[in-house]
Amino acid sequence: MFVSRLALRLFVASSLALVACAGERTPVKQSSAVRVDDFGDSVEIAPAARIASLSPTTTELLFTIGAGARVVGRTSYDEWPAEAKRVPDLGPGIRPNVEAILAAHPDLVVLYAANANRDAARALRAAGVRTIGLKVDRIADFRRATALLGAVAGDSAGAQAVIDSVQGTLDRVRTATASLHHPRVAWQLWDTPLLVLGSGSYQHELVDIAGAENVYADDTKPNTQTSLEDLIRRDPDIILTDSSRAAAIRRSSRWRGVRAVREGHVLAVDDETSSRASVKLGMAAVRLARLLHPEANIR
Amino acid sequence: MTLRRGGRPLLWLGLSTALVALAVAGIAIGTIALSPGAVWAALLGRGDATTITVVRDLRAPRVALAALVGAGLAMSGAALQGILRNPLAEPYLLGVSGGAAVGAVLAVVAGATSAGLVPLAAFVGAVAAVSVALLVARAVGGRADPRLLLMAGVVVGAFANAAIMIVLANAPADTLRNATWWMMGSVAGAEWSGVRWLALYIAAGGLLLVVRARDVDVLSLGEDSAAALGVRVEQSTRAVYLIAALVAAATVSAAGLVGFVGLMVPHLVRAAGVRSHRSLLAGSAIAGAGLVIGADLLARTLLPPAELPLGAVTALLGVPFFLARLRTLA
Repeated sequence: MFVSRLALRLFVASSLALVACAGERTPVKQSSAVRVDDFGDSVEIAPAARIASLSPTTTELLFTIGAGARVVGRTSYDEWPAEAKRVPDLGPGIRPNVEAILAAHPDLVVLYAANANRDAARALRAAGVRTIGLKVDRIADFRRATALLGAVAGDSAGAQAVIDSVQGTLDRVRTATASLHHPRVAWQLWDTPLLVLGSGSYQHELVDIAGAENVYADDTKPNTQTSLEDLIRRDPDIILTDSSRAAAIRRSSRWRGVRAVREGHVLAVDDETSSRASVKLGMAAVRLARLLHPEANIR
Repeated sequence: MTLRRGGRPLLWLGLSTALVALAVAGIAIGTIALSPGAVWAALLGRGDATTITVVRDLRAPRVALAALVGAGLAMSGAALQGILRNPLAEPYLLGVSGGAAVGAVLAVVAGATSAGLVPLAAFVGAVAAVSVALLVARAVGGRADPRLLLMAGVVVGAFANAAIMIVLANAPADTLRNATWWMMGSVAGAEWSGVRWLALYIAAGGLLLVVRARDVDVLSLGEDSAAALGVRVEQSTRAVYLIAALVAAATVSAAGLVGFVGLMVPHLVRAAGVRSHRSLLAGSAIAGAGLVIGADLLARTLLPPAELPLGAVTALLGVPFFLARLRTLA
């Protein structure tokens, strides 16, 4: 069902791409455009034949767009889709091994735009390899990164179809949950130190779309350090966390001070879909909405 | 030998009062504002469920763990400075922290998620490091030479640090954060089960050190004097070294690395005029407990709701006192 919907959207999107020429995402303009990447550097957006993709998100996106055959290198952590594992492993994505990347002879390197990667970007450019830094923290970043990767992979229409498919699912979930009661939630991301979801990340947007209210929305960072006492004071209705931590919270005597825990409202978020702002965002929103609103029939 | 504790009633009264006051503050103050009456009621198990959990399961075990960690480290430092006759001797200099960190980091990297595994690995690492230091000193010198023990400990610690850097160099961000946070020290995760276990351990170790305090008094005068006074120098030195290291290892496994306490607290207590090691151990235990309770209180209230690393706060608090002490020594 998902595939047929994707195919439909692909069809719609490609027809649209043929007629629509306004906006920055038209293929003609992109083929020779210069853009500023997330490092703040100017990069030429022209099709690339050999791409080294050094973050799990961009690797996922390239394979989903259909540009998997152009990927000549990935990080040790890129494990989806399964075909990606057949691409040579170039090591870590943060402070990568520049020599190993050059040995793969890429004509484009996509790095995660972390400060720790600036030196590598500089070295790669000095070696004459086009390098793009991308930071995918929000849903808007996902759209931007997908469009950009579509342009460099020479398939902007395919990229737009992926964007539209994901966006369509997100919109559908938002509509389905709009009239439901929005519980107040805190999403625990880490235990020592205690980190919870702030409002600066796609996961916060997912919570919003799935019909809930993040009690730490006032903190604009992607995640924020807090204390159990502060969590108790904010008094969420539901604690979201990953499956391994949920059991620990239910067992812990320290967490009993949190009303949501006493009332048994500790929910394990689906780790597989919600771990990055990528092609599974739509699925993540559906699963999160079902978790938060089991009584509603969300498809 | 001057072992008359009664000679300084004001010092003991002051130290004990400060400890009690800090412990009360540690239980009464936090992110959630509670009236003294509510805190007292919660301690007795009355009031609403949330307040009772905050006081009895969040703050109280935290204060207790901080006290035990401080007391253990300070006693360990006092004993080591005595037997090694070196003012810089402290458990963390002697490979205890390095060994514990290697154990903990390996456990974290191996993906240990169960709460009990990291402390256990840290303890095993610390014991291994101390054993290696003792074996090295023995192989090189054949006797419990304080200089050799000290240097063997430093070398083992340096080796451990190198190992940690290699293990962490390629670790993913999550692992790095876990390991770094552990190395900065924290009592935020205190639970009564862990506190009870550590209490037993620190009490036993502390008692053993106090029993050996007379030997330490004599050893601190020098090997020859000690031998002349009938102390079995080698055996005593090794025993005290091992007990002090094990006490420190237990604190590290419970709260990570809380720096500076073992080095600083014994000096401060000595600055107050305490000379005999029995008194020094007792005074260091009380002062160390108070210092870490106070540091933890600051760590969690200075920048709420975030918490500062406990090890950094103990050092920041301690450095001014320590500098003042250096002035009096110079």
